[in-house]
Amino acid sequence: MGALSALTGDGNYFEDFEVGQRMRHFRAATVDEVENNFITKLVMNTAQGHWNEEAMRGSPLGDGRLVFGLVTGSMTVGLASQDTAENALSEMGLDKVRFKKPVHHGDTITAYSEVLAADDSPEHDDAGIVRFKHWGRNQHGDVVCELERIVLVKRRSHWADR
Amino acid sequence: MTGSMAGPQSDSCSLLVSKQYSPGMTEDPDFDSFPMAVKGNAFQDFSRGQEMPHHWGRTLTEGDNAIFSTVTCNWNPMHLNAEFAKGHGHRDVVLNPMLVLCTVVGLSVEDLSEIGGPFLGMEDVVFHRPVYPRDTITAASTVVETRESDSRPNVGIVTWHTEAHNQNGELVVEYERTNLVAKHRGER
Repeated sequence: MGALSALTGDGNYFEDFEVGQRMRHFRAATVDEVENNFITKLVMNTAQGHWNEEAMRGSPLGDGRLVFGLVTGSMTVGLASQDTAENALSEMGLDKVRFKKPVHHGDTITAYSEVLAADDSPEHDDAGIVRFKHWGRNQHGDVVCELERIVLVKRRSHWADR
Repeated sequence: MTGSMAGPQSDSCSLLVSKQYSPGMTEDPDFDSFPMAVKGNAFQDFSRGQEMPHHWGRTLTEGDNAIFSTVTCNWNPMHLNAEFAKGHGHRDVVLNPMLVLCTVVGLSVEDLSEIGGPFLGMEDVVFHRPVYPRDTITAASTVVETRESDSRPNVGIVTWHTEAHNQNGELVVEYERTNLVAKHRGER
């Protein structure tokens, strides 16, 4: 184990991911003022339905501030990140991102993942490309968002001793 | 003693009820008559091929990244440990790509989706290169498609292709995004 590899886990190198593998991530998180109200403004999302309690009163999407879909998506990715990207070289992209139900302050997101593909990288000997499907579910068990995510993950053979 | 206390109190009360000094006697304007400084575009404002450079731009800082990454439970050392990132050939922490993506969408909201409604999804999000602290991001979109909603006559569906560049003109992220968009302001 080297100075870099000592900082990250040993169970999530490219060699560890198998197509069809599923994970329920250990930590869930509640969306509240800091997660939605603050982050939505931090990223300059000007749609006030995300941060003006009065704007959404009586909305068919539900009363109260509607959580910005990408906050939900970012939390789903974040909750999955240790298990899926702790040994990543880079995040390559996302695909088929869907926001399926409204999320409000006080809702709790749990993340689930499945490995859709694990392939060699034509450009990197020391890493492979893993395509994950992620789901974010609320406390009622409803899927609120789903997405695919493509990550360039280090190979243990090249990185475990560095 | 009681009398001397009552004197100044009655004096200030009489000042407050006089017309010259009482804010309560000034008539408020008719606020409903103030014209709204309206923001955003409705469905009819979009046409295929239309190009829309977005406002403001954003210099993303280490602080933005630390807040965003920790708040979203993304404690990856590539985003939060500069020495770890340098050990992988980067000059500093790599900004969380989800922060970059959220900011690019944020910069595009007034032009594309502030009128509402719901954000339906995104396709083909590609993170082309790392973004570092103090990089400045600007965003622009092109209308890919506009179509009617089968189930909801008051809204349409619009798809945009958005690209964001850094201060050197290099493409950092691109994606397609689809929203329901109200045909008239005030309808979600």
